[in-house]
Amino acid sequence: MKVRVDSERCQGHTLCAMIAPEVFELSDVDGHSTAISEEVPAGQETKAREAISSCPERAISLIS
Amino acid sequence: MSTEDVARDEDRKKNRYHFDRHTPEYRQQFEAITQEMHATCPIAWSDTYDGHWVAAGNREVFDLARSAEFLSNDHDVDNVKRGYQGISIPKPQRAKGTRGGFLEMDPPEQRHYRQALNPYLSPAAIKRWIPVIDEVTRACLDEKIETGRIDFVDDLANIVPAVLTLAMMGIPVNAWTIYNEPVHAAVYTPPNSPDMERVAEMHMQMGRHLFGQLLEVRANPRPGLIDALVHADINGKNPPDLELIGVLALLIGGGFDTTTALTAHAIEWLSENPAERDRLSRERDTLLDSATEEFLRFYTPAVGDGRTISADCEIAGTQFKEGDRLWLSWAMANRDPAVFPDPDQVDLARTGNRHSSFGLGIHRCIGSNVARTVFKRMLLQVLDRMPDYVCDPEGTVHYETIGVINGMRFLPATFTPGPRLGPGLDETLEKIQQICDEQRLAEPVTSRKAQAKLPD
Repeated sequence: MKVRVDSERCQGHTLCAMIAPEVFELSDVDGHSTAISEEVPAGQETKAREAISSCPERAISLIS
Repeated sequence: MSTEDVARDEDRKKNRYHFDRHTPEYRQQFEAITQEMHATCPIAWSDTYDGHWVAAGNREVFDLARSAEFLSNDHDVDNVKRGYQGISIPKPQRAKGTRGGFLEMDPPEQRHYRQALNPYLSPAAIKRWIPVIDEVTRACLDEKIETGRIDFVDDLANIVPAVLTLAMMGIPVNAWTIYNEPVHAAVYTPPNSPDMERVAEMHMQMGRHLFGQLLEVRANPRPGLIDALVHADINGKNPPDLELIGVLALLIGGGFDTTTALTAHAIEWLSENPAERDRLSRERDTLLDSATEEFLRFYTPAVGDGRTISADCEIAGTQFKEGDRLWLSWAMANRDPAVFPDPDQVDLARTGNRHSSFGLGIHRCIGSNVARTVFKRMLLQVLDRMPDYVCDPEGTVHYETIGVINGMRFLPATFTPGPRLGPGLDETLEKIQQICDEQRLAEPVTSRKAQAKLPD
């Protein structure tokens, strides 16, 4: 399973990292998110899906 | 307009709804009005306040809020651009000539301000303040813990956000009393109230203090949000003081009343649902985050924002004309059954909670991390130290209207008294000030990463 955060859409709501801290990390400076690695770590798939469905900006996509 | 234009205008405004969010009826019938608008007109034209659009549906609010190229937040106070009226509908009577900081600006200026302030407000920046938040909360509760009585608004939820906001700005924390009452009173006092004169006077006094702080920091730099603004490069220049005062007022307005409103509503709901309160306390490791988001969704403290359409466009099936005014209702978007199953129920474990309580798009609440953290830290201590509190509905006073903030004035409660854990508020604030100064806590996270250290 692979995820990507669209940096143009992300506005730093931080919900993804709150829900799936092993999948997403936030910039110290502005709280904007990136996937720690494109490949979601084993066992984190449910949390990653929950993060996707909780993003207020719909900025996270499942790419495979 | 020709007859043909009038007909075309009538046609694009065919979904109509008489929308007046500043009336007590809107508060009382919020759920019914919201359901009706979702079912019949998720975007509607209302003739109120010189005419404006109202977006109530979740998808509609989302699509509109994210269409930055067709929306303007600009408040053209000097009438040198297109005369846009900013984010308040109707335009405020008080402070007519003041711009509401970068929330009433468009990029690039708006972006430059946020870039200057983000390093003070990011999750990593806020985390450094947790020991301070906990200590102020502890002192607030200690003031009341032996008596078995507290007003959660006056004695807790007003104080902690105010003290923290001032500390982050670089303003002495003992000045919180100068700021606290005018900020809250300005929101809940109707313009025609006999009390308005007193509120306006308090506001003037606060403004003078704030301006004094700006001059002081300019002359003798000390860390904080004021310092960031004094040195900010906004589109190639440092803005005039009047504009900076507007920005500081935005930070104060955003930092105070909203977190108070969220905290009071959550505490009230948990008193009415004691089994859920016990569950939240017991399962806090897994429930506190989702419960916080759910309270944010359900009680949406800042209920919406105004915009001006900056170019003719069609969004979410509606044709908008340049200059049209638009109200984006975060509160109503948060109750849309298309996105939130059982939207009018509080579900502490709700999933997929993509609420818009901090706004959507480029103007996302810059203090969202402050709000969440302060809320959670206050709530945890209440759950730990006053686990059996019961709010008194007789003494509870909600804001009469929810046109701007869905807030509360009083939330008295009783609980089983307990022992004090430390000094009272005044002594604690002195200690906090010393720690702020010595450890330079109000530095941006880019220059100071360590968490605040409190003496044992």
